[in-house]
Amino acid sequence: MNDLYTAVVHDVKNQLAELALRLGKRKDAQHEMAMVMGAARRLSEMLLVYQDAENLLQVNTDSVSPEDFLAILTAEYREMFPALTIIVVTDRAPACAFFDDALVRLALSNALHNACRHARTAICVSAYQDEGMLVFSIVDDGEGFSEDVLAAQGRTPTASRGTGTGLGLHLAHKIALRHRLNACHGTIRLSNEPGGCFRMFLP
Amino acid sequence: MTKVSDKWVLVIDDMEGMRSQLRMSLSSSGFAKLHVVSTIKEALERISLHQYDVILCDYMLGDSTDGQQFLEYLRTRDLIHRNTIFVMITAEQSYERVVTASECAPDDYLLKPFTAGQFNTRLEKLLDRQDYFTAIDRASDKKNWAQVIVECDKLLVAKDKYFVDLCKIKGAALIRDKRVAQAAALYREIIALRPLAWAKLGLARAQVLLNEKEEAVRLAREILDETPQFMAAYDFLSRLMAESGDKKAALEVLQSAGRVSPGTMSRIREVSTLAISTGQHEIAEKLMRATLQKHKHSPVRQADDFTVLSRALMHQGKTDEALAVVKDAQKTFTDPHSSVLLGATESRVHRSAGNEMLALAALDKVMQVGELGHLPADAVMAMADACFALNREEDAIRLLRHAVQNHHEDTAIKGKVHDVLVAAGKDTAEASAMIANSTSEVVLLNNDGVKKAQAGQLNEAIQLLCEASDSLPNNLQILGNAALVMALDLLRNGQTPEKLAKCLARRESLVIKSPHNPKLEQIDGVLKQLKP
Repeated sequence: MNDLYTAVVHDVKNQLAELALRLGKRKDAQHEMAMVMGAARRLSEMLLVYQDAENLLQVNTDSVSPEDFLAILTAEYREMFPALTIIVVTDRAPACAFFDDALVRLALSNALHNACRHARTAICVSAYQDEGMLVFSIVDDGEGFSEDVLAAQGRTPTASRGTGTGLGLHLAHKIALRHRLNACHGTIRLSNEPGGCFRMFLP
Repeated sequence: MTKVSDKWVLVIDDMEGMRSQLRMSLSSSGFAKLHVVSTIKEALERISLHQYDVILCDYMLGDSTDGQQFLEYLRTRDLIHRNTIFVMITAEQSYERVVTASECAPDDYLLKPFTAGQFNTRLEKLLDRQDYFTAIDRASDKKNWAQVIVECDKLLVAKDKYFVDLCKIKGAALIRDKRVAQAAALYREIIALRPLAWAKLGLARAQVLLNEKEEAVRLAREILDETPQFMAAYDFLSRLMAESGDKKAALEVLQSAGRVSPGTMSRIREVSTLAISTGQHEIAEKLMRATLQKHKHSPVRQADDFTVLSRALMHQGKTDEALAVVKDAQKTFTDPHSSVLLGATESRVHRSAGNEMLALAALDKVMQVGELGHLPADAVMAMADACFALNREEDAIRLLRHAVQNHHEDTAIKGKVHDVLVAAGKDTAEASAMIANSTSEVVLLNNDGVKKAQAGQLNEAIQLLCEASDSLPNNLQILGNAALVMALDLLRNGQTPEKLAKCLARRESLVIKSPHNPKLEQIDGVLKQLKP
């Protein structure tokens, strides 16, 4: 099943890749671009959820600059949501942190995309240290998470705010959990401040 | 983006649609110096003509090979500068999950689909990084590890975002510069900061060099337990076991690696060779055959891959197939080195099939090559193996003795010579004795030359060492001493243009083979004192 899945995903992603670049040439296709990137992310998430279920999900921890990491993450969304103000705050972040760049980027990408879709005008993305953990936080000025989602806290897939499968948040929870240092593991926390606030804690 | 118009970019993608989109996207982002190709072959042609600042390569490159193999090929042969940015474009993160040796890892992965904006931001960060590491990478290209360490130390003080990366580079350089205890200490510091897999592997490497083999094995197993996708750890552990004689265990380790990732040519070669040496020829045959087929149109294949397949077939009695494999390879690989390897294998196979006349003919053709000194050790060993098969023991021993003496400090080569002797029916003690004997003979020769020089008999010393060096051109100790004695002669007995030229020629040979050989300092010290 995995081989067939992989072959199909590659094919679809190749087509999406070409589509994304074509859309990039037109300066008025941000919405379409967001759909393409969202669709691609769904495919990646599905594969990772499968791998996690089969206990095949590997975490490669290495040193990452939180500043660079967030710059790269937010660049994509500024392009797709030009009407929103996305600010990045990293002055309280360490110069080097230790986590799996690719997995955390996927998890935060989902959270940031959610935030963009529900924000009114602005989103704040930050990195800082708290209780000995590295924290990535994404706060939007929208209406906040639904009660179901707040109750689940990503531990089970819960469809959020009327759309989506809740798989992305669930995967973010799994990814955080798999980041371990000694007895300590990562986690996510969802709250309303009053807009949606997604936080990922990494040891 | 600053200064991108100055940067040379090479893009490799086998899909027409992506190529044209990437070309347009990169051009409109300001990349004026852009080449876009569709195959590895074209990419290699371009790289041979030009140094690129950035290479963007799709991981899937059609059925010939993949981007990771290509990158390994480039890095292991130093075809691109250390400073060149290599970005792998992948559809699936799973490729990233498999961690390769750090020198052969891409500088970044770009996941499809991506927007021009994403790409630009990524590249900006990579270009900043490229800038930051310029001096370090330049020293790396020259293999000047001491300088790499100096440059790293300059930047480490700032404790900026590149701190850990700098430590990684410094650790590897310390090991290469033989400052093993310092390397171990550095890796321990990093592990205390965060128990990163590569730091643990670095420590394990240092432990081996400090003769703490058991510790190293334990640590390697620990790494694999925690991060079973760390391919370099499998390679390391396997090599440790092979060197301590446990080839079966070594093979098992690599086979578990193979279950994680099919692996690159170097691992496949290692598995096949181990399989043959443990008598599991079907494994070697299956693996090498599949690999050669997979990379049918790729330059990563070497003549030796065919000899491995041929031998695997031969040992199973499939001599017709074995011969066909050799004949096939002989059409493609016609350089002297390959011709010797393949000719020796041809002889071996003929002998195995009972065709003694054909075996002798093939061997004689190969033996006419003449200058043994410049043949790589593996070719010489293949010849020796073929000689043993035809009961030409004297020739075989002469060849192996030469191989040992030409590389008397190389434990890997001496290990392989040992294998050839054992395969020919010698027992372990006999084989070890022969190797030790050959080694001490060349060491005595060297010492004799040095003694004569010290006693003032410079002409005799020069003759002795130069003759030896001509016959054993890869023996760096003898080459170095020959050049040094010639320099001393120039200083004490006067110089002539011919004598000077000869001395410089030897020195040049040494520089090419070993750019930071400690003997060069001594030689240059003497040469400096010569009157112009």
